[in-house]
Amino acid sequence: MLVSDNLIELFHIGHQYQRPHWALSDVSLRVKKGDFVFLTGPSGSGKTTLLKIIFREIIPSEGQIVIEGVNILRIPDHGIYKLRRMMGIVFQDFRLLFHRPVFENVALPLQVLGVPPKEIRRRVFNALRMVNLQHKLGDPPAHLSYGEQQRVAIARAVVNAPKILLADEPTGNLDTELAFEIISLFREINKQGTTVLIGTHDKELIRHFGSKILFLQAGKLLGKDALPSPES
Amino acid sequence: MRNLFSVTIICLSFLILGIFWSLSNNLQQVAARLGENLVVTLFLNKDLPEKDALEIRDKAGRSPVIESLRMVTADEAKERFQASFPELRDVLANLKANPFPASIEAVLRPDRAGPDAVAAFLQSMTATAGVEDVQYNRDWIERVRSLGRLTRAIGLFLGGILVLASFFIISNVIKLNVLSRKNEIEILRLVGGTNTFIRIPFLIEGTILGILGGLVSLVFLAVLIQAFPLYLGSSLGALQELLSFRALSISQGLALVAGGAVIGWLGSLTSVSKFLKA
Repeated sequence: MLVSDNLIELFHIGHQYQRPHWALSDVSLRVKKGDFVFLTGPSGSGKTTLLKIIFREIIPSEGQIVIEGVNILRIPDHGIYKLRRMMGIVFQDFRLLFHRPVFENVALPLQVLGVPPKEIRRRVFNALRMVNLQHKLGDPPAHLSYGEQQRVAIARAVVNAPKILLADEPTGNLDTELAFEIISLFREINKQGTTVLIGTHDKELIRHFGSKILFLQAGKLLGKDALPSPES
Repeated sequence: MRNLFSVTIICLSFLILGIFWSLSNNLQQVAARLGENLVVTLFLNKDLPEKDALEIRDKAGRSPVIESLRMVTADEAKERFQASFPELRDVLANLKANPFPASIEAVLRPDRAGPDAVAAFLQSMTATAGVEDVQYNRDWIERVRSLGRLTRAIGLFLGGILVLASFFIISNVIKLNVLSRKNEIEILRLVGGTNTFIRIPFLIEGTILGILGGLVSLVFLAVLIQAFPLYLGSSLGALQELLSFRALSISQGLALVAGGAVIGWLGSLTSVSKFLKA
């Protein structure tokens, strides 16, 4: 039996928000299990769009995406939760519930899985300790600083030990020291087997942690790790 | 506030249904009571000699459908009328003569009063000399039953319209609740929440609103049933018996509450489903 070690495969992905402009154009790439990948490029190059397509918040105008051997564009809407449950996502705008305490925010991915309350408490506490926010679990995110909110979003993304961690500018609002800490944390998570894909335009971070780098410019994938086409 | 509005609308809808149901219950009971006592009244010609009246009574008594017979004199009929309609006492007093004829009330045997036997009896009595008119209360029973059915139909029609309205209102109230929690729903979907997981709290909310509406309508109906005779009953005169509220049975009460629950649940389901598809 042939077992592929590709976890994420994109084939000729193109996306238009508005005609005639292409936000992404003919993007093909492969991410292997256990990879640690930086997706970089200037603002407006399509990083966020590409990440949204991978967790299927956006359906691309063209192309196919295969994750763990499954074409995710063929998954019906009511079945999309299966894809999302294997992913942890750090959104650029955090997407926190600002009126609910930090604990409840971080617990959400476990609650939807039906994890018992005792286990939820243990795992949420561990995730918050990882981002050094264990003392804030009763506070609503509205009372936290921008950087702290970002760390809550990261704790929520890693709390269910996902197979894939997608992060869109996860250090955008953090000072350099904290940014390095967060990426080091992602490295640790990656060492435990999680495939990590980080969208960032922070060249300093890439230089310091860089392994596999995908470079987007004006919606096209450039750079040595980009594949011209999986078929070629 | 929005939830209070939903409960009020559901309550009003089911209260209207309950009122008509209660009235219809009463009419059905009146009809049933009348049905237990099938009576044919033979009105006699005025100034009919007593001997002839007794002959008519004996003739009627020979019929197998008769259980008992009772002579009612003109004076007795007048007294009964005065007792039933005391407000018309003065009108009667102004009349020089007694306008009421004497009559014979024949109680039928329910086990033998089949339609053919009764028809033959009525025909025979109508043809009897000295009998002015024959009245059979089965016609009244049918009329009261029809009135009961009509009341129930009006109740179902009006209540149905209001229940439909409350369905749309609760649907829209839940939709507003869903919209106000749009962010939360989006996040739940992004972290892997199933549609069912997202729907359940809204369905529970809608069902509880519906049950509350149904229960409050039952409370109002109970108050109405108690208060109605106190405030209006005595002024209705002879109509009092027909226009009385009769308490709903336990199963009818449960049906109202269950109806509220179903309306609340359906209203929520449609509004959340629309949102999850969007």
